[in-house]
Amino acid sequence: MATDIQISIVGSAGDGTIAAGEILRNALAGMGYKVISFDVYPPEIRGFGKCIARMRITTEQAYSLKHKSDVMVSLDDSHAIPHANEVRDCGAVIYEQGSIVRLPEGGHMSAHVGPGQLPYPLPIRELSEKSTGANRSRNIVVLGFIAGLFNLPAEGFRKAIGKKFRNKAAAAEASEAAFKAGLDYAAKTFKLDDVSFGPPVSSVVAGATVEMINGNAAIARGALDAGIDTFFGYPITPATSIMERLANEMPKRGGRLLQTEDEISAISAVVGAGFTGARAATSTSGPGLSLMAEMLGMGVIGEVPGVVFVSQRGGPSTGMPTKTEQSDLHMAVYGGHGDAPRIVIAPTNVDGCYRCAGKAFEMAEAYQTPVIVLIDLYLSNRYETVVFPARPPFEADLNRKPGKQAAGAQYKRYALTEDHVSPRAVPGDKGGMHVVTGLEHNELGRPNDSAELHTAMSRKRHEKLKRALKHPDFTQFKRFGDEGPVDVGVISWGSNFGECLEAMLKVRAEGIRCAAMKVVMLSPFPTEAVAAFMADCQEVLVPELNYQGQFANLLQAHVARPVTRLNRVSGEPMKVEEIIEEIRRLAGSKAAQKAA
Amino acid sequence: MATAKNARHHVVIGSGVAGSQAAETLREREPDARVTILTLSSLLFYNRYDLPKVFRGHRDWREFLAYPAEYYKDHRIEVRRCSRVAGVDGSRRAIALEHKEEIRFDTLLVASGGRGYIPEELTEYRPLMHPFSSYTEAVTAAGVVPERGHVIMLGGDMIGLDLARTLVDTRHRVTLVAGQQTFWPHEVSEDERPGLIAALEKMGVEVVEAADAGGIASIEKGARGLSARRVLFRDGTELYGDAVMPFFGLSPSVEFMLGSGVDIERGLLVNPALRTTSEGIYAAGDVCQIWSDADKRYRFFYGWKNVRAMGDLAARNIAGGAEPWVPAQDEKLHIGADGKIQSPFWEYE
Repeated sequence: MATDIQISIVGSAGDGTIAAGEILRNALAGMGYKVISFDVYPPEIRGFGKCIARMRITTEQAYSLKHKSDVMVSLDDSHAIPHANEVRDCGAVIYEQGSIVRLPEGGHMSAHVGPGQLPYPLPIRELSEKSTGANRSRNIVVLGFIAGLFNLPAEGFRKAIGKKFRNKAAAAEASEAAFKAGLDYAAKTFKLDDVSFGPPVSSVVAGATVEMINGNAAIARGALDAGIDTFFGYPITPATSIMERLANEMPKRGGRLLQTEDEISAISAVVGAGFTGARAATSTSGPGLSLMAEMLGMGVIGEVPGVVFVSQRGGPSTGMPTKTEQSDLHMAVYGGHGDAPRIVIAPTNVDGCYRCAGKAFEMAEAYQTPVIVLIDLYLSNRYETVVFPARPPFEADLNRKPGKQAAGAQYKRYALTEDHVSPRAVPGDKGGMHVVTGLEHNELGRPNDSAELHTAMSRKRHEKLKRALKHPDFTQFKRFGDEGPVDVGVISWGSNFGECLEAMLKVRAEGIRCAAMKVVMLSPFPTEAVAAFMADCQEVLVPELNYQGQFANLLQAHVARPVTRLNRVSGEPMKVEEIIEEIRRLAGSKAAQKAA
Repeated sequence: MATAKNARHHVVIGSGVAGSQAAETLREREPDARVTILTLSSLLFYNRYDLPKVFRGHRDWREFLAYPAEYYKDHRIEVRRCSRVAGVDGSRRAIALEHKEEIRFDTLLVASGGRGYIPEELTEYRPLMHPFSSYTEAVTAAGVVPERGHVIMLGGDMIGLDLARTLVDTRHRVTLVAGQQTFWPHEVSEDERPGLIAALEKMGVEVVEAADAGGIASIEKGARGLSARRVLFRDGTELYGDAVMPFFGLSPSVEFMLGSGVDIERGLLVNPALRTTSEGIYAAGDVCQIWSDADKRYRFFYGWKNVRAMGDLAARNIAGGAEPWVPAQDEKLHIGADGKIQSPFWEYE
């Protein structure tokens, strides 16, 4: 029996909602299920604000969360009640059966469980207090109840709980007691819902490892596996955990990480470290990227490798720090002064985060330029089960070193070559002394603003990047679904592509000819491939999480063809159903035109 | 759920036959009113009379529902499941739910039914018995009785004897430990009893008169196999079975009405219009005792048809009517031409 179950845990900050979600997804991933998960939390630290841990558990790979959950747990009715209608019919709603304060009419979850849903009132607080002496373990009680109700192996949960509290003996002991209390209560509970887990299916090849990991952790893992030497950064939601993870891991591998005073310092240090030949990176979000714009230009004109991981959030300005959005695409591709082309790549899932992070260092080095890896909060915080290969799939050194200089010849750091990439010496290389400056320069690196040189150097800086479109072992774009002519083609990018893929698969099952294309390489743009795909599509739909249609703008700058835009700025991932509706509408209007 | 401004809020406690019928009638009579059902059950209204089907292999709760979920949405009837009423304040027209939520009402219909009665001398053995008054209890009981297993039925009210018919039909063995509550709620005279017991035996039910064995001394678990039960009588005789199921009639569920201002005897006392002694509060079904001019006393009326008619009547009177109660069914226990028992309480639609 194939498993496809979505569980949501809704609570208030401080309820342990996110922690419960973490334990649950780790337990299920450890059992062999595929898990995709996304947490929503408030900007406040504690005490109020809604937290939601959502996860979809499958035997086959899923690409996005579902609109409706099969199971919802309420740790705080005031936050969970608005989400009660997000549980499907015959799904389970688990909630606190009592209250310690008087409630107004409608203030209890029982008032909102729909007639098609199955209620499971549970004395969560009482079980926690009786088993641990405190109400802090309510979240773990619920996990015990879930394990028991759905007949999941308790050992898997115990491992995940043990891992979570491995350095906190008292918390581990209390959690074990609370878990057992929930498990025992489930044994006495009559199961009414139709949610059931089939056996997991393992498809892991020998030598590979499977890990439950989120996008930021995958970025950090990719950077480490690509041999990052130095990292400079300044914390900002939702990118901070990239730096936190690297801060733990880099010293063990001989790397260096410095928290700078701001983003300008961070990017400046990256450019400096890149100049020395180090694999260097920083991470930030939209507001930080704005501050880095000037020094990115320096990296472009100096042809200095460097990697910038950008996790987008709701903007502009401080905007919505804990909500997702894809509205920094213009900034990433075009932001800055002068003709400052750079490579921008955007992974579409957590596995892609790992691969793009590692490949970014290769590209930065191979094409001597800053590379931006563009993700967003949805991908930063989204957990997926990722299969890591036995050996990192990244090249350790792609720097084109200068050959032996002819006697008396000067080393030309910016030599105009056939493929526009110049041999690059780093400080200390014998005979490689040269000048790097923000001024326009000649082949030696010396300031020169002649019309001919500026034209030649501008061409060099643009043309060399086109080679990135053929960078080895890197998926620039990919088509899914029906081959050949289709009624509707969906093109998207970044975290939003999973929803597009799910939508495409569903409408194909309805008989609509449909294909979807993900575009990972945003700059330089893979115009030829995208144009070929669009030529196959009677209608083109471009869903994305920004108001302007920034990817659609980029697309139409390269392929002159009308497209239908689907834009949302709710701060939440796009709903698969919304995309399906739009595909149906487009397919229907096309059919109507044909009939006419 | 949207309702017209100033529309009345009718609350019904209980989602059984009476409560569900009342909600439907209220919706018909007052289209703009808000109608809310409060129930302890985790399921929507299902027909308790169908429960013996669990021994024919029907275990999915969906098969037992009287209406699909859409019915409640379409009829704008709010159903609050798993909601236990802690108390009713008739003067403030407020219901306190056990989870500390308060619900205000304009009119209240109490149709909370009855729960299976267990004689005091047997209450300590309750954990060893398998009651049969709800879907979950029915499925649990069916889960412990194997194919052709042996059920020891205590008491033998008409709900139990209805189940006994199914059990015999499905080739289970049934031993009835008969007593005062056998044939409840029928009133059976001493003269009629031997013939009715004989009719039961003709149906295939083995009958042991509890009084003849000195009454039940104890019920034990695990005498033969982990789940088996032993019923030991005071005279030393014993019975072994796979399950012991109590059927001693119903006890009205009225505890939450204590202090509400409504007069209570065994059930809630209502006038022929089914109104309690408190303004705006009505009662229907197994929970109420209706004044009978004929008998000059308050009395219960049982049976599916009676209960449904009470729910309908109470709702009509809540909506402005003033009709008196007229029993909707015969109450006489018969022995049919085939020599088997026929009870009007087994009839339902």
